[in-house]
Amino acid sequence: MAKMAMVINLKKCAGCGACGIACKTENNTRDRKDGQSYNWADFIFKMDGKFPDLKFATYPVLCNHCTNAACVDACPVTPKAMFKTKDGITMHNDERCIGCRSCQDACPYSVMDQREGGDYSVISFNSDEAAPFEYYRDKTELIPGCTSSGAEIAAKAGATPPMMTAYMHPEYDNVRREGIVEKCILCSHRLADCKEPYCVETCPSGARIVGDIDDPNSKVSILLKTYESEVLQPEKGTKPNVYYIRNYNMK
Amino acid sequence: MKLKRRDFLKATAAVSAVAMVGCGAPKNNALAPMNPKKAIGEEPGEWISTTCQGCTTWDPIQVFVQGGRAVKVRGNPNSKANCGTCCPRAHMGLQQLYDPDRVKVPMKRTNPKKGRGVDPKFVPISWDEALDMIADKLMELRNNGEAHKYMLNRGRYTYMRDIIYDAMTKIYGSPNNISHSAICAEAEKSGAFYTHGYWDYRDYDLHNSKYVLIWGLDPLVSNRQVPFTIKSFGDISDKATITVVDPKLNASAAKAHNWLPVIPGTDGALAVALAHVLLTEDLWYKPFVGDFKDSVNHFKAGQTVDADSFAGKHTHGLVEWWNIELKDKTPEWASEIVGIPAESIYKTAREMAVAAPSVCVWMGPGAAMHVRGTYTAMAIEALCGILGSIDNIGGTMMKGKTHVNKMPKLDAYKDATAKKKFKKIDQRGFLNFPAMKKGKSGSGVVTNNVADGILQKNPMEIKMGIGYMNNFPFSGTGAQRWEEALSDLEFYVHITTHASEMSQFADIVLPSAITTFEKWGYLKSKGNLHSQVSLLQPVVEPMWDVKIDETEIPYLIAEKLAARGFDNLFRYYKENFNDPETGKAPTNSKEFAEYAVKYYTAPSWDGKKSFPGDKIKGLEEFKKAGVWNDARLSYKKSWGKFKTKTHKFEFYSETLKQALGKHAKKHHVSIDKVLDVCNYEARGDKAFVPHYETPFRYGSFEEYPFTFIDHRSRLNKEGRSANTTWYQEFKKVDLGDESWDDVLKINPDDGAKLGLKNGDMVRITSTNASFVIKVKLWEGVRPGNVTKCYGQGHWAYGRVAAEDYKNAKPKGFNNNELMPADYDRISGSTARNGGFCGVKIEKV
Repeated sequence: MAKMAMVINLKKCAGCGACGIACKTENNTRDRKDGQSYNWADFIFKMDGKFPDLKFATYPVLCNHCTNAACVDACPVTPKAMFKTKDGITMHNDERCIGCRSCQDACPYSVMDQREGGDYSVISFNSDEAAPFEYYRDKTELIPGCTSSGAEIAAKAGATPPMMTAYMHPEYDNVRREGIVEKCILCSHRLADCKEPYCVETCPSGARIVGDIDDPNSKVSILLKTYESEVLQPEKGTKPNVYYIRNYNMK
Repeated sequence: MKLKRRDFLKATAAVSAVAMVGCGAPKNNALAPMNPKKAIGEEPGEWISTTCQGCTTWDPIQVFVQGGRAVKVRGNPNSKANCGTCCPRAHMGLQQLYDPDRVKVPMKRTNPKKGRGVDPKFVPISWDEALDMIADKLMELRNNGEAHKYMLNRGRYTYMRDIIYDAMTKIYGSPNNISHSAICAEAEKSGAFYTHGYWDYRDYDLHNSKYVLIWGLDPLVSNRQVPFTIKSFGDISDKATITVVDPKLNASAAKAHNWLPVIPGTDGALAVALAHVLLTEDLWYKPFVGDFKDSVNHFKAGQTVDADSFAGKHTHGLVEWWNIELKDKTPEWASEIVGIPAESIYKTAREMAVAAPSVCVWMGPGAAMHVRGTYTAMAIEALCGILGSIDNIGGTMMKGKTHVNKMPKLDAYKDATAKKKFKKIDQRGFLNFPAMKKGKSGSGVVTNNVADGILQKNPMEIKMGIGYMNNFPFSGTGAQRWEEALSDLEFYVHITTHASEMSQFADIVLPSAITTFEKWGYLKSKGNLHSQVSLLQPVVEPMWDVKIDETEIPYLIAEKLAARGFDNLFRYYKENFNDPETGKAPTNSKEFAEYAVKYYTAPSWDGKKSFPGDKIKGLEEFKKAGVWNDARLSYKKSWGKFKTKTHKFEFYSETLKQALGKHAKKHHVSIDKVLDVCNYEARGDKAFVPHYETPFRYGSFEEYPFTFIDHRSRLNKEGRSANTTWYQEFKKVDLGDESWDDVLKINPDDGAKLGLKNGDMVRITSTNASFVIKVKLWEGVRPGNVTKCYGQGHWAYGRVAAEDYKNAKPKGFNNNELMPADYDRISGSTARNGGFCGVKIEKV
């Protein structure tokens, strides 16, 4: 048994965006559409003060893998499609999901439609109306006969999307089907194979650390003992397991 | 190329945290899948080494390939310069490789009319037909005695550039091989060269530094070692003071201890004021600079000093510099000019002095790419001299040694046509374009002036050109000139991955293999005090019948020229690039591309010569490792033998005096005349010392009350990534920017005066152009200035980059169309900073 958590050291974080893009390459998440971002890793920014006394901070955000996960509580399916694994990961089963979006509605870190506001959304919904990766299914050519098309590239590469990272997961397809929600699973398919989540591995600043906070000797536990930490929206009572330590800026 | 055990432990320290729960025990124990009967984990694949060319870091990376597909990217753990990291740009490469809008076959223009918004009516043609047309045109020029009317426009390159840029152009018989270099750099090299004789980008001993002064760049975002800086910045800020000088809040300033938001173009005033404090307060680093003979400080504000009273050590001309420039340049004088309180200037100088010599003065383009930028660059670089931090622990370093073969000699392959001498189309070396690379008149490049050279037909008419991996109608300031110039040409060939702005003016478009993923090449780069040789190799089969720009295409053209009776170039390629392993001559373009890379890089892996750095045993090991690392730089190697005229660090630049003198003599004029024609303010001896010059500005403050600041994106891959959806989606990581949009950032106080709120549209007008753009009110810019990131504003390139490709409608606007074309003429650099672009803002 373990309780997986992530500690993000904001002092090291440079707000560069690499984790957000790397996550899309690892987890084959599609492009933003109809107010759904499909960004399992994303960013929020804070800027306070007045020129020239400014305080800027980036907060990389992802699923908080909450101990009291509102999304899990809200899932109406039995057994639940959104559930906690024994390692504390908030997991989603894509076969049991009925696409009711109750989880998305319940999650304090998600919004139903980003066009109506909200900086980011942990949970996104794959509409029933279009197959994933329309961009790579489109058959039109910019310059007919001369440039390619999404469909042609995907066919030639042999996957949709063409850069699809092939991995297996018992709960999850590596590209999610229509009519279900999706979100960060803490790269559970990598953790099981002794690999870091891809956002952790590719963070050029080394700001992200994943580990078991029930183990007092884990690096995450040690960091949380060493530094004060904060979580996002603690008042919601979800007990998030993504912790932010140190300050992004010197102010 | 094994990682040392210690490095391995360091690299996997975080992994062990996971291992404790999941991987110490039998596999999948603690993190067991919910249904243990089903498989979990990554499908097999292979990490293949190559190099990212998203910016000038030239970051060694690895690409994970599954079933012949490139699926993800990471930093190359074998690189000592990046310590196994890569920045966001590298990941975006996947979307560039698999971009639906890539050109997949050669295209021929069928509409003779050229211009923006004019459909070229491209039709697909075979490689053979395209190459025939190119060879016919090249032969037509040669046979008419007009070989010099051909030009080669180099863009982003690998070191295989020799083959297309040098060999092909020179053996064919044209002087016009023109690089892109001065589009976005070079001026800073003037600063280093005329003070300490080093014409290149510097390295920085960041981890030993006690004070890092970042000036005119945002190293977390762009410049030449982005991943290493991202990796190090947090740790460095724990042990050193970091101060950022930049007119707008940049990503580094946001994390630094101090931000000095200098008024655009006044950097030189701040630099000389810092120098003034360091001298008047007896704070210079004496073991390097030297001291007064009586050990008493005679630098008193406003008073001249007797030059004989000072004994310089590794430096030359400190007293002359003081007398000519520094004595009156007090922080109080500077304060009003630069917009920073005098106390901050005193504090900065004093803190740097306490940290000396372990001070990195990290100068970037924002401080140098000004109309009068050479002198600003010199003033900033001179601080390394006063602080003794040049080539010293924790200071500004230079580069190490890389070992590669040189370009085989061309002379034997040049016929009478090729031996003719002509001036170059960029007008380098003209009276008004000294363009002095390493102090030699006309040896640098004035890339952005090529458009004017073509339009003026001076020094010659240009009838034909070939360009590769460039897009000057997008990347050059005064970009409209390029549209006009390219429309004027009889025949233009663009080698490109995308139908870019430049392609719209081409008669033939050749589809290029994409760098990083499909191309053979190699690069030299540095960081973390290690220089390196980094390999580019095809990691996947090319998507289409695309060819490598720098090697395959010139080989195929040479073959066609040989078939038409001119075989010198083909013989040069066939006779000089044998496979170093087998001795075999190339029999086709693909072999040529591979043999040529092997030829150049052989000393890094063939074991024939011994030198410090990695020992790599053979080509296969080099391909696997992807990078050869030089030994770590040692300190003070250059002390006493700087490559200046005096071999000292020159505060009075005898090197620049000689260089300007030779240029003036060539044109039979005085140095003062050169300075006048080139729009510098200095006359007399002042021209030889680092000094402040008033920013030159297009547009009066009365008519154009705001100053435009152009800045860089952390996602730009030199203008080539805007057609990826990930670029658009994460555009917000550029401070103050909005995803999928292009916004003009205005201080809220100015916004209030103009009655603007977020999302309003305004008309922005410079002396060069006028656009309508969305407003973002943002505190990160000083009132009186407005700023916008470079990168959006494509009216071609693809369906994501452009708002409407078919109708040539841009997403936002291109900063390079707003800014007029001008230069720091001593270096030939394009001015794009320094407050030279006045604008007016009107609500629409």
